[in-house]
Amino acid sequence: MIADATMSTLHAALSGLSQRQRVSADNIANVNTPGFLAGRTDFESMLRTELADGETPTAGGGTVTRSLAATRTDGNNVDLDSETVIATETGLRYQLALSALNGKYDLLRSALRTQ
Amino acid sequence: MAVFDSISISGSGMTLHRKYLDAVSDNIANINTAAAPDQEAFKERFIVAQAVDYGSGSGGVRVAGAAFGSGEGKLVYSPDNPLADEGGYVRMPDIDLGTQMTNLIIAQRGYQANISAISRATDAYQAALQLGKNL
Repeated sequence: MIADATMSTLHAALSGLSQRQRVSADNIANVNTPGFLAGRTDFESMLRTELADGETPTAGGGTVTRSLAATRTDGNNVDLDSETVIATETGLRYQLALSALNGKYDLLRSALRTQ
Repeated sequence: MAVFDSISISGSGMTLHRKYLDAVSDNIANINTAAAPDQEAFKERFIVAQAVDYGSGSGGVRVAGAAFGSGEGKLVYSPDNPLADEGGYVRMPDIDLGTQMTNLIIAQRGYQANISAISRATDAYQAALQLGKNL
């Protein structure tokens, strides 16, 4: 009852988002590394499939692919603008998922209160 | 996978860009370092960046080493210089200040980008640490 579908879904989302943040940090760290192709994280499509099939979502199912965007002359295709947007958006979505999880805990806590 | 991975990944990026800044400063500091014509001129310093576990594991970047430019330099007529040969020439490094200043800005902006990535990661981690606090 405590670890229900909502919890598993939020857990999967948090895990995917933290992976995306890690990959984004990796992209920014390698912004000047010749030949580096930016990584792109996808966990949403797997989460969507699992939810559509009525399965319990699993955390850590994100996949990282290399971006095929045009490269600079040094063979690097990290775009600092989009990385900044991705990192900010991911951070905010992470916090949103956390407040949803907190809300869920609040709900459980109210149910457990005796008075 | 460490607990606060994003921070250490951005930290590796900061280290690389700091070394890059060091190399550029070294190049600019020695832009007028003369040498005798029969010796090598100051060699331009380069930092070799390499992605850690590219495409697989932990991520980040590391300094794979330093590379050096040519010691050939250019001969400059400077008869008053004590290092000059009989013809009055000294060997000066062939470093372009414009290139160095451009690299300086690239390194500085790269460093700053990593710092803001750290502060975004910190915000997310802080929020995670507050989970269940007010129950």
